[in-house]
Amino acid sequence: MLPPGVNAKDFSDALKQFEEAVGKEWVFTSDEDVALYRDAYSPFWGEPEERVASAAVAPYTVEQVQAVMKTANQYKIPVYPISTGKNLGYGGSAPNLSGSVVLDLKRMNRILDVSERNHSALVEPGVSYFDLYRYIQERKLKLWVDVPDPGWGSPVGNSLDHGGGYLQPMYRNHFDSHCGMEVVLANGDVVRTGMGAMPGAKTWQQYKFGFGPWIDGMFSQSNFGVVTKMGFWLMPEPDAYLTGTVTVPKYDDLIPMVDILTFLENSGVSNGMPGLGSPLLGGFMMPPPAPEVTALLSKPGGSAASPELHQYAQDKSIPFWSCTVKFYGPAKAIREQWEYAKEKFSAIPGAKFQDGEFYKLPLTPDQFDKVHKPEFGLPSLETFSIGARSPINPTPTNGHIWFSPIIPRTGEAVLEANKVFSQAARDFGLPILSFSLPSTYWMRAFIFIFGFPITHDIATNKKNRESFKQLVRIAGEHGWGEYRTAPAFQDAVMDTYSFNNHALRRFHETVKDAVDPNGIISAGRYGIWPKHLRGTKA
Amino acid sequence: MGSRREFLQAGIAASLLPIAGLASATETSPVPFYKIIVDQRFSTSVEFGVEWRARGAAVHAIRGDITDLWFHDLDLQWKKRPVPIAGLTAHGPLFCLERLAWDHGMRVVSRVEQPSHDRDGEPLISWVIAPKNRS
Repeated sequence: MLPPGVNAKDFSDALKQFEEAVGKEWVFTSDEDVALYRDAYSPFWGEPEERVASAAVAPYTVEQVQAVMKTANQYKIPVYPISTGKNLGYGGSAPNLSGSVVLDLKRMNRILDVSERNHSALVEPGVSYFDLYRYIQERKLKLWVDVPDPGWGSPVGNSLDHGGGYLQPMYRNHFDSHCGMEVVLANGDVVRTGMGAMPGAKTWQQYKFGFGPWIDGMFSQSNFGVVTKMGFWLMPEPDAYLTGTVTVPKYDDLIPMVDILTFLENSGVSNGMPGLGSPLLGGFMMPPPAPEVTALLSKPGGSAASPELHQYAQDKSIPFWSCTVKFYGPAKAIREQWEYAKEKFSAIPGAKFQDGEFYKLPLTPDQFDKVHKPEFGLPSLETFSIGARSPINPTPTNGHIWFSPIIPRTGEAVLEANKVFSQAARDFGLPILSFSLPSTYWMRAFIFIFGFPITHDIATNKKNRESFKQLVRIAGEHGWGEYRTAPAFQDAVMDTYSFNNHALRRFHETVKDAVDPNGIISAGRYGIWPKHLRGTKA
Repeated sequence: MGSRREFLQAGIAASLLPIAGLASATETSPVPFYKIIVDQRFSTSVEFGVEWRARGAAVHAIRGDITDLWFHDLDLQWKKRPVPIAGLTAHGPLFCLERLAWDHGMRVVSRVEQPSHDRDGEPLISWVIAPKNRS
């Protein structure tokens, strides 16, 4: 395969220059090697529209990245940077534009600095969460890395794609927790952001903003440069961990429960990632509902709001909602914080409380095996032991993509979103649970995460793609936008961010034209197409 | 047992591949694999491990999750020298090991979907991961 718009001679010449820059063994052109960059979870698997690479090049140094940029510009070769290439569910390591050359940064795997005093790290894109965790463990540093689930990805890649984890809010938003980056621009220039722009500054991983416009955000979910270094703030190992659960009896109690939770989090009282649940309705990571509940939900007109269901819950004394709050900190302090949280939740009539886990840290080996590891800064691949198995996908084999809209952090929004998405599920015959509760990765907003199974059946995938786009559109009509998505849907999602005749996308395109006039970096990523392809792909 | 025969055939086939890393492993071990991976959740896989252990193989048991195997063993070993492994597992563990192996220049050189499901109902796959033939 040739990159689009590039003739065979130019591509051959470019590959030779890539080989001169990085070494022949680090330019991959065989079908067998290039196939490794396919997206295992591609919703176009086996179809002509599947996004596939033409070749891959794996530099080892920043200078080699610069050389690759120079050649790519000379021959107008589209390149697609990846870090460790494990962005499954959001595109993997496959490019937006078929025929792109994957710029594989896995060999750039140096941990350049870890400071126990500053609780920070500076790493290259090829460093994985496992690598950083091992470095810290081997040196017995009292630091925790906020890891996603699974943890085999790269702190650089995950944060640039707005990934999240499970520790305190300032760390579990991975892009928020970064501090300073180094970027190779399309013209080969190297830019350092924040205090990194000042030669000799000792504060690159201490103060984000430097002087003038803070441009770091422009390099996340974008295609304006190749990030080659990134600093991160790490969490000091806490003294202890505590959880407690509140349950409330009524459907409408979700509204005050969420408000109190939000107060506790925004006040810093609860500082772990909370979990919302429904003992009545069941759901993800909870026991399934009683058959009577399923029957009430399934009957025509049935819903979580039905009076019959409410009566059933009251008769059986089954709480409608639960919220597990989590605390990291000194043992004495977090026990008091839980007591304070109970006082606040007691404002809801019928609220009941249950003390949860308490761990003095670090964990003992026995405790280590029992916990959800990412909540303790431990990278894990455990999620693959269950695969994408779920009530809506009981026989997983081929992965998933995520439909993941941001909704307001209110109980009202959760209830409304469920009505909207349940109706959509019925309309489109989608396998969505009868009621879903949002995830709490972000402090200030909720996020719904629905998995769409990916199969190797073209007709099923086609149906799921269309349904996915319909959900994106319906969510957008309610003001609920995707936070991140796979390349197959990035144009559709960007279409929903349409204020003032798509002013944001037009601004992105203006920047793209200025910093990458030949459009060589990640064409189409997050809906940003270079001028020569604009309108032909979206 | 068909699955065992196919697995052994795969192992033999892998041991005959002209691969530098595998050849050196063969010289120092009666079994051409650094480790045999089995999944304790499935009786067929456990039985498989017993048979391989009887042949002198080092058998590593998982329960679906390869994290410990990866972090405490394979990652360290493969950074020093890619060596072949084999297993009889469900799809999930193989999916992870295959991608981690790619990063060390290794490939799945044999992958046999078992004709019958494990008695526990989970489809099992016998597989061999070995250094890529760069010739």
